[in-house]
Amino acid sequence: MNIDEKALRSIIEAVLQEYDASAATAVSAAPRGEVKGFEIAGQAEAKKGTRPDEVVIGLAPAFGDSQTKTIIGLPHYNVLKEVIAGIEEEGVSFRFIRVYHTSDVAFVAHAAAKLSGSGIGVGIQSKGTTVIHQKDLAPLSNLELFPQSPLLDDETFRAIGKNAAKYAKGESPSPVPVRNDQMARPKYQAFAALLHIKETEHCDPNRKPEELKVIFK
Amino acid sequence: MKSKRFEVLAQRPVNQDGYVQEWPEVGLITMNSPFDPKPSIKIENGRVTELDGKKRADFDMLDTFIADHAINLDYAEEAMAIDSLEFARMLCDINVPRDEIVKYTTAMTPAKVTDILNKMNVLEMMMALTKMRPRLFPSNQAHVTNVKDQPVQIAADAAEAALRGFDELETTVGIVRYAPFNAMALMVGAQVGRPGILTQCAVEEATELLLGMRGFTAYAETVSVYGTEPVFIDGDDTPWSKSFLASCYASRGLKMRFTSGTGSEVQMGYAEGKSMLYLEARCQYVTKGAGVQGTQNGSVSCVGVPAAFPSGIRAILAENVIGAMLDMEVASSNDQTFTHSDLRRVARSLMQFVPGTDFLCSGYSAVPNYDNMFAGSNWDAEDYDDWNVIQRDLKIDGGLKPVSEEEVVAARNRAARVMQALFKELGLPEITDEEVEAATYAHGSKDMPDRTVVEDLKAAQGLLERKITGIDMVKALYRAGFEDVADSLFKITLQHVTGDYLHTSAILDKDFNVLSAVNCPNAYTGPMTGYVISDARWEEIKNIPKAVDPDSIK
Amino acid sequence: MNQEQMIQAVVKEVMASMGKAAAPTDGGVTQAQYPLGEKIPEKVFTPTGKNLNELTLDKVIKGEVTAEDVRISPQTLEMQAQVAESVKRDALAENMRRAAELIAVPDERLLEIYNALRPYRSSKEELYAIADELKGYGADKCAGFVREAADVYAARGRLKRD
Repeated sequence: MNIDEKALRSIIEAVLQEYDASAATAVSAAPRGEVKGFEIAGQAEAKKGTRPDEVVIGLAPAFGDSQTKTIIGLPHYNVLKEVIAGIEEEGVSFRFIRVYHTSDVAFVAHAAAKLSGSGIGVGIQSKGTTVIHQKDLAPLSNLELFPQSPLLDDETFRAIGKNAAKYAKGESPSPVPVRNDQMARPKYQAFAALLHIKETEHCDPNRKPEELKVIFK
Repeated sequence: MKSKRFEVLAQRPVNQDGYVQEWPEVGLITMNSPFDPKPSIKIENGRVTELDGKKRADFDMLDTFIADHAINLDYAEEAMAIDSLEFARMLCDINVPRDEIVKYTTAMTPAKVTDILNKMNVLEMMMALTKMRPRLFPSNQAHVTNVKDQPVQIAADAAEAALRGFDELETTVGIVRYAPFNAMALMVGAQVGRPGILTQCAVEEATELLLGMRGFTAYAETVSVYGTEPVFIDGDDTPWSKSFLASCYASRGLKMRFTSGTGSEVQMGYAEGKSMLYLEARCQYVTKGAGVQGTQNGSVSCVGVPAAFPSGIRAILAENVIGAMLDMEVASSNDQTFTHSDLRRVARSLMQFVPGTDFLCSGYSAVPNYDNMFAGSNWDAEDYDDWNVIQRDLKIDGGLKPVSEEEVVAARNRAARVMQALFKELGLPEITDEEVEAATYAHGSKDMPDRTVVEDLKAAQGLLERKITGIDMVKALYRAGFEDVADSLFKITLQHVTGDYLHTSAILDKDFNVLSAVNCPNAYTGPMTGYVISDARWEEIKNIPKAVDPDSIK
Repeated sequence: MNQEQMIQAVVKEVMASMGKAAAPTDGGVTQAQYPLGEKIPEKVFTPTGKNLNELTLDKVIKGEVTAEDVRISPQTLEMQAQVAESVKRDALAENMRRAAELIAVPDERLLEIYNALRPYRSSKEELYAIADELKGYGADKCAGFVREAADVYAARGRLKRD
């Protein structure tokens, strides 16, 4: 996808309008649960898993809620569908949690890993940035990091799910090939900052991670 | 009808970049924000009780740290009393010596230093930078990485980069577990190219320190600090933990600098409605307070953020000036892709290239940008000749020199063979002759054969588990018959004993002499003072291979 | 301050600092002895008691110099701190003095203490205990620094949460 200035402007305007609206009404960040392709049907306090063969997928505060697409317009539905398809291909189970205390992808992933019975978690930001984490690693370390959100497509998300599942089974998979496009930054970085500011506005430092019930339509 | 002119313009590289209008309320503004605090300081009984309009009771972590560690209170009231405009004029005035400026800048508050820079244009800031750079002469740093984390290629590219004139080399990893291999390949390859090159490997903080302790690296740079408390916390540190880390490095005789840059706070979502430059000033006061000798700044990996806003490239130059004002080594970025436009990337770099900084790029990509694992640099291996010609055009010293194909090929080949022998001695997965050959002539990883990643990762982690140190590498290189490389590696290690290179802006020459702001201080006071390019250096810069020798035509 | 006054002040200061550099007090060092490895190698010793001049490649190969030997000593860091002070880099000198205290702390423990100082890792009591432990190493400056951190973390809600 190619964002030209006009498109960028209209997206920013939309985000700005939304910002103004939320600032004016100061409504609580209650989940809307209305996103194309899936629905967040309910949530409860997240518990530490006991199954050794599970991957916990941690979603950043705005994922599939106030934001519904990644930075390149990939619907969040596709992101989740591909990640879980990758996990299921390996015969591993999964759970979703939402993290509220941070919007930093490394900490989201680490929170998921700490709650995972296998110790493996995946953290996904609304703009698409993703990390595969392991509970015993330092928060800012990782098993695999996919920092360039504009390069993450369906195929990569499926491969991420698959590898997370393999780590959960105690295997040492070949890491998902790292992609690199130095032109992503000039095109997207400021826009990424804007999306991240929006996501961070949904953080609540005192709210613990919650288990999400996700229904795919 | 559509305008054909506008159609052409829309296709121009500059229009592939993203631009955003200012939004000061959330910090999407580079300088001169109406929401930045007004400079102030109150000192009672030798303790700061008010900083930039905030009372001590309202201090956040950064305010507390800056107030208690970063400001020289002896001159603080005097420094704060100087009118900002008058100080801006002193800063770019060749008649006001560097020492005099430092006396006051190290006694100011972050809002004051920001207020001063808000009053300067880029030309004035460049004048200030040329005067305030701590080391007498500028230098340059390169990135050496590749998408495959191919260690043989890293060694060959390091050797070539060293030969071309870089004094520092930095690597990082695609996959974290590769770090010991990449660090080792970089250090060894660099010494083959030119003895005395300092090398580092950018990874997570604790791992980076461990690599240094084990002798896999000679210094560290990726020790990030941030300008607001929430972002500092998301960076998984505090000013105290980072300062402690700085002391850890020095306790092992390891050189290090901190990293910060405009835009990181908005990038990470918590700018607290302050300008990017003000927050960066806070970062640099934290760095100063930690007693760190230097800073890498200039937006660094966040450059796409300020560059999308008005006055962003000016703000980046302003950051560099702050570092020098605080008497710290400045590695001035120019290290990350921020534009599709060749014109913009040159304009951005001239801000440092012309005045000269301790490290112009931090770093320049010594590999083609598709292999640059810092997500692309503003300059890459395909720009080598452009850089050399710009040095020649303007008679400025950008740290590089023209080289011949023969010497580059020879150095790359030797570096690859040294790696092959070292891997064998250390019992690591084989490096084949095919790999050596490929690395000798490669432009990038597309020209390199694949290695067995899983085996490499196991062996790389094994180096840490086996507690292999720099001394083990020295012995292995010696046993393999590369006594000169063993000797160079050992002499780097000796720096950890003397600590001479812990001082501001230190680098090593090919004979391992330390050149720093202590024994080579900048003494610029106008034309024909400070660093003047020597005749020998000018010959080197002048003689690009492509220039036709008039004598060759009869 | 006008320019003339300023130049006078600068000249005075430069003169004063030159005087200082020329006459190091009680055996201390200044920028005049820098680089130490070049100017006064005979005064540079490792924590294992070896002199800089004894550290040669030959001895490494023979196994007479080991990884334990190629480390900086507290005395050397103190000299470097004095050099830093002689060029008015007090904060750098302070860091070098904190570092000198940490030389005796083993690598692994140092990494653990660093991690303990990161946000949300430790309780106030745990950090105070680390401060006491550092005191045991004679690391008084560092101990004070860790206590200071503990107090700030407590005030800012950055201590370990359950």
